[in-house]
Amino acid sequence: MHQVARLVLRNLTVSLNPGFLIWQIIFPLVYIFVAGFAYSALIPEIDLGDSSIDYPAFLATGMIGFNIMNSTLVSGIIIWNDRRHGMFEQILCGPFTRAHYILGNICTIGIVGIASAFLILLVGAPVFAGSVQMQPETIPLVVFAAVVGSVLFGSIASIISTRLRSSEGFNVIINTVFLFFAFVSTAFYPAHGAPEPLATLFYLNPLTYIVDVIRAGMFGSLDATAVYEMVALLAAAACLFAVATRLITRLDV
Amino acid sequence: MECIRARSLSKSYGDTLAVDGLDLEVGCGQVFGFLGPNGAGKSTCIKMFTTLLRPSSGSLEVLGTDALSEPLRVRSRIGVVLQQPSYEPTLSVEKALDRYGMMWGVPAAERRERAARLLSEFGLEDTRRVRNEDLSIGQRRRVQVAREFMHDMDLLFLDEPTVGMDPQARRRLMDYLRARVRDGLTILYTTHVLSEVEYLCDNIAVVRGGRLLATETPESLRRRYGSGKTMTMHVAGPPGLLEGLKMPGCELDTAEGTVTIRSDSPEGMLSGALRALAAAGLRVEDISVEPASLEDAFIRMVDDAPGS
Repeated sequence: MHQVARLVLRNLTVSLNPGFLIWQIIFPLVYIFVAGFAYSALIPEIDLGDSSIDYPAFLATGMIGFNIMNSTLVSGIIIWNDRRHGMFEQILCGPFTRAHYILGNICTIGIVGIASAFLILLVGAPVFAGSVQMQPETIPLVVFAAVVGSVLFGSIASIISTRLRSSEGFNVIINTVFLFFAFVSTAFYPAHGAPEPLATLFYLNPLTYIVDVIRAGMFGSLDATAVYEMVALLAAAACLFAVATRLITRLDV
Repeated sequence: MECIRARSLSKSYGDTLAVDGLDLEVGCGQVFGFLGPNGAGKSTCIKMFTTLLRPSSGSLEVLGTDALSEPLRVRSRIGVVLQQPSYEPTLSVEKALDRYGMMWGVPAAERRERAARLLSEFGLEDTRRVRNEDLSIGQRRRVQVAREFMHDMDLLFLDEPTVGMDPQARRRLMDYLRARVRDGLTILYTTHVLSEVEYLCDNIAVVRGGRLLATETPESLRRRYGSGKTMTMHVAGPPGLLEGLKMPGCELDTAEGTVTIRSDSPEGMLSGALRALAAAGLRVEDISVEPASLEDAFIRMVDDAPGS
């Protein structure tokens, strides 16, 4: 087995505990089936270009992006734990290079991201199944969002984990940053109708682009805007990945 | 054949020179003690030997491989227990051993067999299902050392491996290491506990201020720097008498009630000391004479080194 595959297996073993998996299912379930239906009286329908969908379907697809983002916290937690508990140095004393370590992390979050996306697809299927317009690009777009989103948010979590040593600092910063990403986005509500400054903020947030791409794939609303968003996502993910790689490469041992 | 061959090895951090032109050869098939006071540069050397750190200058061969140009090849043949703890907090002891073996590419069946054997050898059977984060410091250290034997290696670096271990665990580890060396393993061993060095090491190197002071056997170091003896007398008598006593050449410990003479031939001073004690009304209850320990020799050598 290749070194990267061995590190991925190790990462999955140390990071995927039952608590994390339950959280990854229960939290979106509550949002989809409680908030989704409770808010549908306030937000009956949402326009998506030529068509419209009901709020539970809108929220369920937003939760796919949200879950991808949440799952990539794993990346930051792995790096932070490895540094705190001495495993970073220990791994680098073994038959691994820093490139192996970084690739191992990226593959781990890619796997976790895709698994999380499909978990919500399964859980949320009863809610949005009636609105889905299966097209040839549907699955590729969801996979694109899962992989690029994982790399992007995984890189952000990795950057934070390389800069902070204390558990308090790490938890406060990572929760604040990810809280901003979660709620200042179109994952939970549409941008149109929100006050102009807030709507603008939504589009400074990569999670908005990820959920837009997922919805474009699932509800057949792929247009030029979605394509631009994909390009922006790719560029941002590449830049952040480069920064994260550089910081991990320069970590002291 | 040498397992480690360092030539003019130096490492600096900014203006601070941590290792200064180290020349060292470590032969294979032995336990080689690597000693020095705190801040001597031992851990920096080990990090260079294990390719974690790149030297600022000099050359380094480990197991016949150029460690600077082929670090991965070196790392695939060595084992390392660093000074700082390293563990997976949420994994059980058994799982941690298994995952570590997996990371080294050890097949699953062999991992199970090795883990079972190591749990027994290191007295960890009772903790096999305990999570690493719930272990005591000593138990965690034992797991850290045991874990390294999940994979094959030719050279093992142990940087203060017995920190936190109880005497039984320490002795068990020493015996296990001796057995592994008989099977052909080479160990570079760092510690501040010199009784471990006496028990385990075939040869030692002493470093101070990033420079090599000496390379020799523990016995020759003791002979060269530990020529003196220590004579200790336990005395009894009315409290306070020992406090006011003047005995040139003797160290008086009023709390312990001891008189200590450190000299090449303390026997020559014995009769004078006994007379002084008797005149003061003190009775000698016990006398012991001990040759200088390796620790005494080590302290003297380091203190006598230029620049100390």
